[in-house]
Amino acid sequence: MRTIKAFVAMAMMLAIAACSGQQEQAAGATTTVTPGSVADFRQNVGDRVFFDTDMSNIREDGRQTLTRQAEWLKKYTNYQITIAGHCDERGTREYNLALGERRANAAKQFLVAQGIPAQRIQTISYGKERPDPVGSDEAAWARNRRAVTELQ
Amino acid sequence: MMLPRRSTILGGAALAAGAAAVPARAQLTIDMTRPTFEPVPIAIVDFAGDRVGADIANVVRNDLQNSGLFRSIPPGSFIQKDVNASAPPQFPAWRQIGAAGVVVGQVSQAGGNIKVDFRLWDVVVGNQAAGLSFTSQPANWRRLAHIIADAIYKRVTGEEGYFDTRIAYVAESGPGNARVKRIAIMDQDGANSRFITDGRTIAITPRFSPTLQEIVYMAYAEDRSPPRVYLQSVDSGRRELLGNFPGMSFAPRFSPDGTKVVMSISENGQSDIYEMDVRGRALRRLTNTPAIDTSPCYSNDGSQIVFNSDRGGSQQLYVMSAGGGGERRISFGEGRYATPVWSPRGDWIAFTKITAGAFGIGVMRPDGGGERMLASGFLVEGPTWAPNGRVLAFFRQQPSSAGRAGSVTLHQIDITGRFERQIPTAGDASDPAWSPLIPQ
Amino acid sequence: MAAFAQKLSADMNKLRTSLLAIAFLAPTAAGAQRVDPVYVEDRFNQLQQSITLLTGQIEQLQYRNQQLQQQLEKMQADYEFRLDQMEKGKGGGTPRPPGGAQAAAPVPAPTAPAAPPPGAAANAGGDQMYNDAMKKLQDGDNAGAERGFKAFLQNHPKHTLAGNAQYWLGESYYARKDYQNAMTAFAEGYKTYKASPKGPDNLLKLGITLAVMGRKADACQVFAKFSQDYPRATDLQKRRVDQERQKNGCG
Repeated sequence: MRTIKAFVAMAMMLAIAACSGQQEQAAGATTTVTPGSVADFRQNVGDRVFFDTDMSNIREDGRQTLTRQAEWLKKYTNYQITIAGHCDERGTREYNLALGERRANAAKQFLVAQGIPAQRIQTISYGKERPDPVGSDEAAWARNRRAVTELQ
Repeated sequence: MMLPRRSTILGGAALAAGAAAVPARAQLTIDMTRPTFEPVPIAIVDFAGDRVGADIANVVRNDLQNSGLFRSIPPGSFIQKDVNASAPPQFPAWRQIGAAGVVVGQVSQAGGNIKVDFRLWDVVVGNQAAGLSFTSQPANWRRLAHIIADAIYKRVTGEEGYFDTRIAYVAESGPGNARVKRIAIMDQDGANSRFITDGRTIAITPRFSPTLQEIVYMAYAEDRSPPRVYLQSVDSGRRELLGNFPGMSFAPRFSPDGTKVVMSISENGQSDIYEMDVRGRALRRLTNTPAIDTSPCYSNDGSQIVFNSDRGGSQQLYVMSAGGGGERRISFGEGRYATPVWSPRGDWIAFTKITAGAFGIGVMRPDGGGERMLASGFLVEGPTWAPNGRVLAFFRQQPSSAGRAGSVTLHQIDITGRFERQIPTAGDASDPAWSPLIPQ
Repeated sequence: MAAFAQKLSADMNKLRTSLLAIAFLAPTAAGAQRVDPVYVEDRFNQLQQSITLLTGQIEQLQYRNQQLQQQLEKMQADYEFRLDQMEKGKGGGTPRPPGGAQAAAPVPAPTAPAAPPPGAAANAGGDQMYNDAMKKLQDGDNAGAERGFKAFLQNHPKHTLAGNAQYWLGESYYARKDYQNAMTAFAEGYKTYKASPKGPDNLLKLGITLAVMGRKADACQVFAKFSQDYPRATDLQKRRVDQERQKNGCG
């Protein structure tokens, strides 16, 4: 089951890689903020990727976001980044700290594989200690299983 | 602080009398392992001799009542009003209100200290069942009351008491997305709560050293560096980093002898279990898998460690030798198992269990058999044992709604799962850690 | 197994490191054969997930295996206990005072008639006769029992309890110290109903009877035959044979 999922994800990833140029153009069209600013990164690139329950593999939507992040970070090399891993509240505190760390690390590895130097990237886990949004339904939990790339 | 000195009065005589009267004593004893029983009705008379005597009696009443094993008879219904603390009570008058036992006490001044004598009378048999005397500084009167409640609990249940103990916990306040989480310590009954950390950064998962002199916990730094484990002196407040690793360190817990702390350290998304020598700070790796190994806890004799790991695809409980190695999975039920804690008696391992829609608190034997669930809810987590291994504390979180964080409260429950009760705290509270008995 | 999985993981970590190194260094050396690092990372994650899955399955299998083993041991213990009880029930029913001719007590006491197996046509109507004769034997009416078992054997020679009846017929003689008839009855029981559950008892008691009659050489031959013909006799029977061989000085 997982293997199938991973294969599908990989196939789609390869397809995306082929047309990533178009993606960047489309993103550029909506720009209303200073290119290269933190706001630019958040609005036009996307600062966060989401995960499935208890999982830390990067989903297809996350691959697109992280690919855009890598392109952006290659262009604006003045930023150091911290990737913060988070979890929903449906796990125990200590395990979620570790799971958040694993998610942050998965995002980091993806960026490194895209050519971002590992030295530019720090990770930190907040487990389930910093929910955003605050909520106890599936929609809120889905938004909380996240890795957020923060610029410094 | 001057610790109370314990001495027995009539201790031997009381024991001998007790042993001789086995059958008739039935009503002033309770076997808490039996499937059903009635709480023991007990009358606690305000202690004579000093104004603090009434306060002491109140604390004793609350402790016993809160255990679920006793029913404190309201003082308003007492028939004999003038009980002499050193003479037998009028037994028929107490039988008439259904009391199985009567507790009387006397407070006296002893050179700047207070001396408290108490006696437990067996109303059914008509003799003295227990009697003790303690001396302490006046400020410690609550501790004296807890010690007396422990003595009564032990006499009636045959189990060690747990009232003269403290609970460390995480005091939570503020909005759901920016909660302030501070470590606090209070008496087992919720009294004397005080903060141990300042709340500028999140601090969670406190655990006592066996002497209660120190706690270990995890706290975030003010910059973006990873959160780490700290060791803090309870009295002086002095704190130090327990090892400075590049990655996050978390889930600390003392060994039963206090010489070691076991914890998890993360590196490249992998979390393993390490043991640190508290004095020499030597670090030893105990597990090495690409999985998440965390929430380690020593067995009561210090020879083994139970922890949870997702190496097999979902969180399950594993036991290994304290020096690492010999890892074997012990949980095989439906769902995910987490936060295992070994009973101070060694007979059970308590855990948090996560199934489809709910969380539960349960216990199983150290070999994984005899699993039993005690409490469940939307989110219940983090069991911790009272030192007698008969009662657990944990926390309950209510669902959040409309962007507001659900309330978080501390609870205690006995291992039969019969009596659950909320432990009062000033605000929201999570992550309870029950201390051993306070050294006397 | 856990150790194996760990080693596999460690090896994979090394593999990833070297693959990633190749992925980054290769382009300068041989651009055409560049390994896509994202692809490497994906493959690595897939393999790691496979290991996790396998680890979980192995744990489950080990657990189930252990459970089955425990179940088996329990069943085995229970089985042995039951067999032991059955033997005891047969062997220790009516203790007789030691000493004298009576000391050579019949191995199977008349308190535990073998449970008749599910009825075949040959059994029709026989059970009552058998039980009546057995009752007489238990009551000490040896002559009555003799008549009863003889009548039963005449009417129901193929009854599943025929071997038993032949044996108890011998016992009815033996109890009256009529060793000659007892010997004949036991010998007949062994010859005719060799494969019946009472076959070994017939042969054993034949030997004992011969010994009591002073025909020690014959008795020893019978005991030797016992070991040959009934290697799967109960421990109790085997012990009894050993005792008798010793008692009669069999070689």
